[in-house]
Amino acid sequence: MTDMDVDTPPHDSGAAAPVVPKPVSKPAPKPAQSGTATGQATCPRIEIKKWNAVALWSWDMESDVCAICRNNNMELCIECQADQDAKVNNNCSIAWGICNHAFHFHCISRWLKNRNSCPLDNREWDYQKYGN
Amino acid sequence: MTAAVRRLLKELQDTQNDPSEEIVSLAPVDDESILRWRAVLRGPRDSPYEGGYFELRIDVPEQYPIRPPTLVFVTPVCHPNVHFETGEICLDILKTQWSPAWTLTSTCLAIQVLLANPEPSSPLNCDAANLLRCGDVVGYKSLVGMYTLMYAQLPETLQ
Repeated sequence: MTDMDVDTPPHDSGAAAPVVPKPVSKPAPKPAQSGTATGQATCPRIEIKKWNAVALWSWDMESDVCAICRNNNMELCIECQADQDAKVNNNCSIAWGICNHAFHFHCISRWLKNRNSCPLDNREWDYQKYGN
Repeated sequence: MTAAVRRLLKELQDTQNDPSEEIVSLAPVDDESILRWRAVLRGPRDSPYEGGYFELRIDVPEQYPIRPPTLVFVTPVCHPNVHFETGEICLDILKTQWSPAWTLTSTCLAIQVLLANPEPSSPLNCDAANLLRCGDVVGYKSLVGMYTLMYAQLPETLQ
């Protein structure tokens, strides 16, 4: 719209010429007027060339530490830790009971051979899920 | 290194980083084996054991913490649930109610709680238990107090 007004010479009302809308298309748009940026005219101040996304995850549970071996649940259990290259390491995951207490699967299965109860609340143990 | 040894090393580190006021000392007997420990408990406050220091010997099995440690009093203790001569302790968590979530520290604290809360219905020391069972609390307290004075003084190694 403004471009049109600028390019069109005022035909009849010559006297009114000086009052014609000022040409605004030529000067570079002020950076502050981002709302009117049309894309081609704006010069971006920041250009993203590379993007590295980082994410963290953890199990959703009360305690991070396996109460049986005292290793963090995110780490290997105490047996697998000593045996770094043993095949069982692939299977060193976390198991939850129906009481929602979590232990290393290796640790809880060693304990259950002894007594079928949760080490933390002494209730009868039943697997709820088996993480991986 | 077995799993028991590795877990005990963790526990040793924890007791050193976060010593308990109730447990005067808890450490392996020597550098030879981490499976043999010695603990010294403070007699619980407001009990006839107050002012005494009670030494325990702890033997940890290779299957620890799946199997419980064995704790016996070295210091003679007059208590319904402690054998006066052998120091054997009658406490369910050391036997049938053991759980691998217990540590040596929490087990020692449980024994300290037992000192203040005797259970005369399953006695190892019938004389002490009988005093309580017939309601002679004064007699019980003075008997225990006498033995505490006689035997439970701070061990020389900790003085």
